[in-house]
Amino acid sequence: MLTYLLRRLLLMIPTLLGITIVVFSVMAASPGGISAQTLVGGMDMKPQEKQALLDYYNKRYGLDQPPPMQYLRWLNNVSPIGFVTDEQGQRGAFSFSKGMDLGTSFQYGRPVGDILAERIPITLLLNLVTIPLTYLLAIMIGMKSATQRGSSFDVGASLSMLALWSIPTMLAGVLLLGFFANVQHFQWFPTAGISSREALDMPFLPHWDDNGFVRGFLLDRIWHLILPVICLSYGSFAALAKLTRTSILENLHADYARTARAKGLAEDEVLWKHVFRNSLLPLITVSAGLLPSLLAGSLIVENIFSINGMGQLAVEAVKGRDRELVLSITWVSGFLTLIGYLIADFCYTLADPRVSYD
Amino acid sequence: MTDAAVSSRQSFAARIWRRTLDGVGVKLGLAWVGLLVFCAVFAPFIANSMPLLISRNGEISAPVLNYLAIEDVWILAGFFIAVAVSRLQLSGGSKFMLFLAGTGVAALIAHVTVQPPALVIYDDFRSAEYTQADWRIMPPIPYAPGDYLRDLGSKGLEAPFASDSHLHWMGTEENGADVFSRMIHACRISLSIGFIATGIALAIGIVVGGLMGYFSGVVDMLGMRLVEIFEDIPTLFLLLTFVAFFGRSLYMMMVIIGVTGWSGYARYVRSEFLKLRKQDYVQAAIASGLPLQSILFRHMLPNGVAPLLVAVSFGVAGAILSEATLSFLGLGVVDAPSWGAMLDQAVKSSTFNWWMAVFPGGAIFMTVFAYNLIGEAFRDAIDPKLSRRGGSES
Amino acid sequence: MNQPLLQVRNLRTYLRTGGEPVKAVEDISFDIAQGETFCLVGESGSGKSISALSVIRLLPEDIASHPSGEILFNGRDLLALADAEIRAVRGAQIAMIFQEPMTSLNPVLSIGEQIIEALQLHYPQMAMDEAEQRAVTALIQVQIPNPGERFRDYPHQLSGGQRQRVMIAMALACQPQLLIADEPTTALDVTVQAEILRLMRQLQDDTGMSMLFITHDFGVVSQMAHSVGVMQAGRLVESGLSPDVLGHPQHEYTRRLLASLPENLPKPSKNTFPSGQNLVWAETNKAQHHQGGLHSPTASSAVGVAANSLLPQSSLPADAVALEVSKTEPTASSDDVLLQIRDLKVWFPVKKGLLRRTVDYVKAVDEVSLDIPRGEIVALVGESGCGKTTLGRAVLQLEPVTAGSIAIDGQQVTGLSQRELRPLRRKMQIAFQDPQSSLNPRLLVETTLTEPMQVHGIGASRDERIELAAQLLDDMQLGREALWRYPHEFSGGQRQRIGLARALALNPEFIVCDEITSALDVSVQAEILQLLLDIRQRRDLTLLFITHNIGVVEYLSDRTVVMYKGKIVEQGMSAQVCGSPQHPYTQRLLAAVPRLVLK
Repeated sequence: MLTYLLRRLLLMIPTLLGITIVVFSVMAASPGGISAQTLVGGMDMKPQEKQALLDYYNKRYGLDQPPPMQYLRWLNNVSPIGFVTDEQGQRGAFSFSKGMDLGTSFQYGRPVGDILAERIPITLLLNLVTIPLTYLLAIMIGMKSATQRGSSFDVGASLSMLALWSIPTMLAGVLLLGFFANVQHFQWFPTAGISSREALDMPFLPHWDDNGFVRGFLLDRIWHLILPVICLSYGSFAALAKLTRTSILENLHADYARTARAKGLAEDEVLWKHVFRNSLLPLITVSAGLLPSLLAGSLIVENIFSINGMGQLAVEAVKGRDRELVLSITWVSGFLTLIGYLIADFCYTLADPRVSYD
Repeated sequence: MTDAAVSSRQSFAARIWRRTLDGVGVKLGLAWVGLLVFCAVFAPFIANSMPLLISRNGEISAPVLNYLAIEDVWILAGFFIAVAVSRLQLSGGSKFMLFLAGTGVAALIAHVTVQPPALVIYDDFRSAEYTQADWRIMPPIPYAPGDYLRDLGSKGLEAPFASDSHLHWMGTEENGADVFSRMIHACRISLSIGFIATGIALAIGIVVGGLMGYFSGVVDMLGMRLVEIFEDIPTLFLLLTFVAFFGRSLYMMMVIIGVTGWSGYARYVRSEFLKLRKQDYVQAAIASGLPLQSILFRHMLPNGVAPLLVAVSFGVAGAILSEATLSFLGLGVVDAPSWGAMLDQAVKSSTFNWWMAVFPGGAIFMTVFAYNLIGEAFRDAIDPKLSRRGGSES
Repeated sequence: MNQPLLQVRNLRTYLRTGGEPVKAVEDISFDIAQGETFCLVGESGSGKSISALSVIRLLPEDIASHPSGEILFNGRDLLALADAEIRAVRGAQIAMIFQEPMTSLNPVLSIGEQIIEALQLHYPQMAMDEAEQRAVTALIQVQIPNPGERFRDYPHQLSGGQRQRVMIAMALACQPQLLIADEPTTALDVTVQAEILRLMRQLQDDTGMSMLFITHDFGVVSQMAHSVGVMQAGRLVESGLSPDVLGHPQHEYTRRLLASLPENLPKPSKNTFPSGQNLVWAETNKAQHHQGGLHSPTASSAVGVAANSLLPQSSLPADAVALEVSKTEPTASSDDVLLQIRDLKVWFPVKKGLLRRTVDYVKAVDEVSLDIPRGEIVALVGESGCGKTTLGRAVLQLEPVTAGSIAIDGQQVTGLSQRELRPLRRKMQIAFQDPQSSLNPRLLVETTLTEPMQVHGIGASRDERIELAAQLLDDMQLGREALWRYPHEFSGGQRQRIGLARALALNPEFIVCDEITSALDVSVQAEILQLLLDIRQRRDLTLLFITHNIGVVEYLSDRTVVMYKGKIVEQGMSAQVCGSPQHPYTQRLLAAVPRLVLK
């Protein structure tokens, strides 16, 4: 087991390298490439000041060097093992624990690490709330569909699932926002962000006050999250529901289910004691791909609901041609994806005794 | 087992096709796609500010034809070539080659011969020169997608049927152009992105996946690493990066969506090839000393194609969604009409412009839904468990 | 002992599969007495499994219906019981075991849990400890070694035979009066089958339970059954006491089935038959067969009964009695060797560890040396996993050879590039086991047959090749129209014939037949075997016939080679190897084959 984990972690490295190289190449190959020119170009400054800024950028980030060198410099900075670089960009001694320097964002002027530390938890919150909800609903609907196969519920559900899956996220977001968070129609939900401004001062739990009911931080958060979570979850929920239904149907007709019936078990006992656990296995396999698709969905959802998470950051970084930020976001999301795969595989070994790792 | 012959005399492909069409959903899906194709091909004739036919002082002329762009002509030519080729009695592969050749030639000819006037002023078509005629036939939607209706005092975003002087079934968008017209012309972008991007992804996927599946060993290992890299790249993010850094062009987008999307197809093809290599008839082909290209293209590929069709259908839907998303985020193609870009305008300003959400958004939804229905029907048709019910062997 | 335990009266089972209802079981009636075993025997599609499932109403209600009939168990009609009542019967009074032990056990639960479940269901007041005890006892009863440890194992950790024992333990946990066994040993190796059958007989003696045993193997019937019923197309065509039915079959179908058994097929001689003559197929009696002659008069006329599935007959000259005795020695001498295999190794590496290093090898074929003389049929026998299929495929270079050499007609085959190998491929071909996957479903039969011809330059024009292909189909007793059809339009037996035709398309000298009849019914198998003998003669072929069926070996082959765990343990002329085996494994193998013995 340990060797397997080690092997997987080691295999992640070439993949992460590959991803960053691809993204870097895209940036470098684009017209304008990655040079200080593009960063400085639009600004309204005197020529000497521009030149000074240009020189500063060049020295600090090595932007005047050929792309492969730039990449290697960045790699060196990011990896915890490498050469220590100082403020002037000069190379120092080799060290095994120099720490990871993710660079500084051109746009914001702050260290990338700080920005990410702010934004990632928000995106993670959104996604981690979505995942269990999605699974729960999907299993419930899938199970009802499968056990009442051919009924009106089943047919209706199947069609709705396919339709739901086909609704583009942005349309759903726009519609939700337009109808449920708008003065013109129903203003049940807030339009933006994940907390009201007052929320920061509120106590955590809801309670009654002299002035009436105070929402409390927790409830306020939840209230803000409802629409974005709906928007993020419906697509995967639909796909999972369909998968659940198919899986349960297959297992209901499997040989071991027949053996269970031959022993005298009633139909719902067969379902819960035997079929259920076997049906969950494909769901676990699929969960590996869930995180990446949710991260992609976050891009849109955060944009629509003005939530300052990583997705929103990604769009801004790309629009601003912010090299450091773009690269870091790339490998962080790649890393999260691969970790997601690993966790999914691990859960699968727990669930299925036939699978073991050596 | 008795030695009686089983089931009817139909080729494999014909059986699958027949089974696929057996359902309401897929027929609706195909009908919608057909509608889109129709709109895309004949857009200049359906929604345009200039009359189709006009007779002035006894002279009949067709202004529309004068203003056709190269793309319009090419698409029309392609459509008719496709219809003609499909009627011929050739194998699928040759028909496809013929179609490609035909459209290539048509493109060249169009490039050389068609020269529309560079500048089009739509207001002219509402001037006396065009309105005072013996008779004229206007397209069903008398507004071109680029017609901003300046002369009619357009005020930008307007709900359907809002103004009295000019009728807009789906309202107007922020520049004043008619939404319905733009939507019809946007069919082109959606369809073409769907097909071309998926085509590129499919081609790359088949080549890489096929090589991996057939040769295994080192080729397989390297290939899998490549597939993993492209899978793990946050696709949308890569798209954004591409478009932001390279600028916005329709062709660029098609290529990019194609290049980022091939990993799924490669996996499918690889697993199919691995399965097929073990099939007895492939082993028999090898034992008979048949040449490699026969084994690959005659014995393996046709039998591995079926699951690919399912993936392609969903892939086209995905490509359309990607383009719409990019447009929505403000990174889409600039002046050509696009559903995603129109959807973006739905939440501009504090008002909710519902017609910009419902109509273009609805079109995206219907298209994606249609492709998904078709994909589902394909998947059910090729499911081997279902095929066992077809025969009566026990 | 007065009233039979189970009485089936006029049972009908119809299945709804979308179109017309399929009349799977049509009006069958039989009795099973206390402590007795009743076998239902028949070919595929005969309805025997459906009948078994009908007894405890295991068929899904939305598909199956029983328009008429009664199933009286201890006097109660099972078809009339309510849902809860029939569930009380299932598992407690009537238990059932199935054919595929791997898929019939829940893969995510341990075997102990699954046995206990049966107990707790029917004895809800039983404490956990007692249930566990009883489960372990059940495992001991079925002779599972180390039952205490095995208790927590999962199904995939056990072998096929052990899983079937677990199934039996699970079924017997509640001490049922009737055990229904649906082809329980069909998926097992012969030696394992023998043990399981012995176990079941012993359990029956110990507990006095009755058995309803479904099978297609008459040898098994002979060993297990007190009474037997023969089913064909949903009907019970004959039933009675086992010695009566097997020894003096009354119904023509039963006779035909028994006569199709390889041990009952007549063996033609190379010398007596002029080429092109169709084979005779006379029904015979096993006892007389042993006495060394064919029983001619009354029997042979009954042949005409059989319809289109049989080859037409011609009458047998009287002195062909000598056939049986004189036939056996093949004419090939040892210096006319067609295929020479020397020290062949086919090893597959097992990779483990962080860097995927090769730690071990799966030795599928382990230093095998073999000579196959020209013109002989050599049978390659063994149980699953012994390497016989790998060997057959390695000869044709379809599996990578790790070491050793293979030479055909003196020419080396190993170590050649694909291009150099191509002309040699004409000399050796292969036919496969599974009719479903042996033909490319996308191609017409004509293409499948003519494409190899085209590649190797046989036949000067397309028309000529089509003509050659048509002749091949004629030889296979299929009409010419078959050329213009797709594989899915043919039955399993017909597809195997097309597969053989394809193997013959290049006019090879040597054909590997990889279990080509294992997936076919007995009657269809009989035809294919006789066809093989016919074409072997006419085209002067050498065959390597891979099989696990000893009856076929005795019928068909001149020479027998026995393999075990990748090595050859015994080889020699078939009569000797099968008559007086030397190696202990061969002895065990032959002893395990269920023979049709008439008491």
